[in-house]
Amino acid sequence: MDLIHPHSKREVVDALRTASASETRVLIIGGRRHIDKGNSSEVDAELWTTVLDDRVAYDPAEMLCVVEAGMRIHDLTAMLAEGGQEWPVDAPRDATVGGVIASGVATIRQLRVGTMRDTIVEMEVVTGDGRLVKSGARTVKNVTGYDVHRLLTGSLGTLGVIVQVALKVRPLPKVTRTSVSDDGGLELGRRVLDAVPLPAAVLAEPERIVVRLEGWPEEVEEQTTAARSIAAFEETDAPFPEACFPEAMIVAEAAVAPSRLEALLAGVGRYRAVVGVGIAWVPFEDEEALTAFRARAAELGGIAPVIRGPGGLGDAAIPAPGVQRRIRAAMDPAGILAPGRAWST
Amino acid sequence: MPNLEAARTELVAALGGDAVLHDPLALRLYARDASMVEGSAGLVVFVRSAEDVVTCMQVAARHDLPVVPRGSGTGLAGGATPLADAIVVVTAKMNRILEVRPDDRLAWVEPGVFNLDLGNALRPTGFTYAPDPSSQQVSSIGGNVNTNAGGPHCLAYGVTSAHVLAVDVVLPDGSIERFGSEAPAAPGYDLRGYVVGSEGTLGIVTAACVRLTPLPPAVRTMLLDFTDVEDCAQTVSAIIARGVVPAALEMMDRGIVRAVEAFAHAGYPTDAAAVLLVEVDGLPAGVDAQTREVEAAAQEHGVGTIRIAADDTERSLLWKGRKSAFGAIARIAPHYHLHDCVVPRKALADVLAGVYAIAQRHDLIVTNVFHAGDGNLHPLFSFDRSVPGTLERVLAASDELVRLCVDAGGSLSGEHGIGLEKRDFMPLVFTAEDLDAQACLRGAFDPDGRMNPRKILPDGARCGDYAAAALGRDGVLPEGTWI
Repeated sequence: MDLIHPHSKREVVDALRTASASETRVLIIGGRRHIDKGNSSEVDAELWTTVLDDRVAYDPAEMLCVVEAGMRIHDLTAMLAEGGQEWPVDAPRDATVGGVIASGVATIRQLRVGTMRDTIVEMEVVTGDGRLVKSGARTVKNVTGYDVHRLLTGSLGTLGVIVQVALKVRPLPKVTRTSVSDDGGLELGRRVLDAVPLPAAVLAEPERIVVRLEGWPEEVEEQTTAARSIAAFEETDAPFPEACFPEAMIVAEAAVAPSRLEALLAGVGRYRAVVGVGIAWVPFEDEEALTAFRARAAELGGIAPVIRGPGGLGDAAIPAPGVQRRIRAAMDPAGILAPGRAWST
Repeated sequence: MPNLEAARTELVAALGGDAVLHDPLALRLYARDASMVEGSAGLVVFVRSAEDVVTCMQVAARHDLPVVPRGSGTGLAGGATPLADAIVVVTAKMNRILEVRPDDRLAWVEPGVFNLDLGNALRPTGFTYAPDPSSQQVSSIGGNVNTNAGGPHCLAYGVTSAHVLAVDVVLPDGSIERFGSEAPAAPGYDLRGYVVGSEGTLGIVTAACVRLTPLPPAVRTMLLDFTDVEDCAQTVSAIIARGVVPAALEMMDRGIVRAVEAFAHAGYPTDAAAVLLVEVDGLPAGVDAQTREVEAAAQEHGVGTIRIAADDTERSLLWKGRKSAFGAIARIAPHYHLHDCVVPRKALADVLAGVYAIAQRHDLIVTNVFHAGDGNLHPLFSFDRSVPGTLERVLAASDELVRLCVDAGGSLSGEHGIGLEKRDFMPLVFTAEDLDAQACLRGAFDPDGRMNPRKILPDGARCGDYAAAALGRDGVLPEGTWI
């Protein structure tokens, strides 16, 4: 396996031009934290983005930061904390910004902070054949031209190397509080969601409910009181979010319309579900059980890609396969970027 | 060869004579949207279903005609202005709210539903549809999706794209596809994200699945007045610096305040140099805390009076003033040219000074009412186009304005779109390689270049095999177009 370790955008451009010309298949690597998401792909080389980690611009008054995509989440978090702000994305500390974006990480707190895809306002990407392409703008709002960065978000490294992004950031909440109940289940989770105004997240597990609250001190008090009117909640200082089934062989990340979580998880022994959002993480010991679970997710109009372990994305049909193929061809004409890793067309 | 007559015959046979207009008056009416550009329509078709849209696409393909989708026609950048005898597909009659599902926090709507009607229909469920463009009484969800519309409340809640979970789209080849999902993730590339804001150049949206946002338990609206425009602009940054992201943060200068007050009688202070309309929302305790921070920030910057709306009636009145601004300016002169560009928030004061200087240089009346929290300016030139030479001065001033905003680190458009009006400015912010990539990806949806040709991308943006066939003569708008 060859290793490409570019030190500049120019070197990424040169490397991919060469790779396209020589039909060298390339897997783009950031922090290697989301590497299991996607179908297996045979490649000849790895391209590491981790040296491309400079801070390009950060002015807290603009609520925007511009960083190279190899920057680690913990470095970004520390940089933004100095300005009293955060990139509201729930991702592992040692993941890279580019990896989080390319793998389409689901934001657990999205009821309060929105989705990751809506925080990306500008992107520079190097296409498979080595063109440096920019889209978006460094303003919080913009409708100038086509949002190429939307296609790159969640593209699993099959459309180009994300080398730089401008991110919309937000003020750190004045207070955060995580509370845990002594009882669990989706039905209880839903009642908590209905009772607590504007929570950041309500997580349901079979044995407990975790409520994440963020805001002004008085708000969080009011929300806590509301949660306690439904179940016995105790504050915890455990990190949020906690690691998801760290010992499991396989973890799938299902996505269904929020009201279909009950049907999806009926009879499932272990799960963590984001109530009101429709995301559920479920551990599996073998691929057979995963296959049955996926079939149920599909019946409910959803998907269940694996985020850890073997199993890939599953065989859900994608819309307009011809359009998707042409998009891939437009961005990576030689087809060298992780062939087969994204959804099958 | 384009064959309009054959296309008309087939469309009348398939959709009925009432659905197809081709009389000179209709063609003239639909030759433009709310921009200053006039094009030429070949046929106007009122569709009632996705199947009707499929028929339009098939007929257009058979007879080699371009297709231009149109919602309410309130677009300000020429995105719905047809060129070269296009078939204008009007979605206004597809105006049903199909499903409201509070448990899933979503609703399915047809593209012709008015933005405000959707908000009103949702209110009893305790939810709303957050994007609220100032045109919301008449602009449709389909148009909002295609322009990725904004509005005052997008500061805290985000623009249209953040509120569209899925779209049903008829592609130029006549196929019907669903991009996005009711679920929080969908397989494949995010085609939904590419279609939102694509100004009708990729396909025609026949239904949208929109996100429902809980109505905040408490809302407080404040009107702050200033004797100095710069103080007002700096208060905007000061509020953000205190860690407060208001639901809305709107600025109006003296000229627009006077026009609005004469029209809406909302009690706006007509002697102020500028006012800020600030709205904070959330839980009652959080609203109190945010109000205190806003007041403190304003006092640091020489605020005059701070008026807090006492009840919903007063709140509605203050918003009526803001949202009727573009109607009210008819009192100043018969025509206006409304701009839309975005700059970094900290550049607001300097750019505003530049806007006034440009107006003065070209002897034009300019007023400003805009989304200050987003850095999204809307300078508005008022004029009488029947006075010889006026239009030329407006266009010269507009050109300078765009360059001023780009030089300040800004962008061409915050929420109105590029359409025809700004496409030739695109090279100011994108390289040829950037534009070629955008053209390629557009071609992935529309290989024959049938959808809304010559919009967004300047002539010359090409992509090998994907080159849009309809793009023709270099840099020249076709005959029949005038500005």
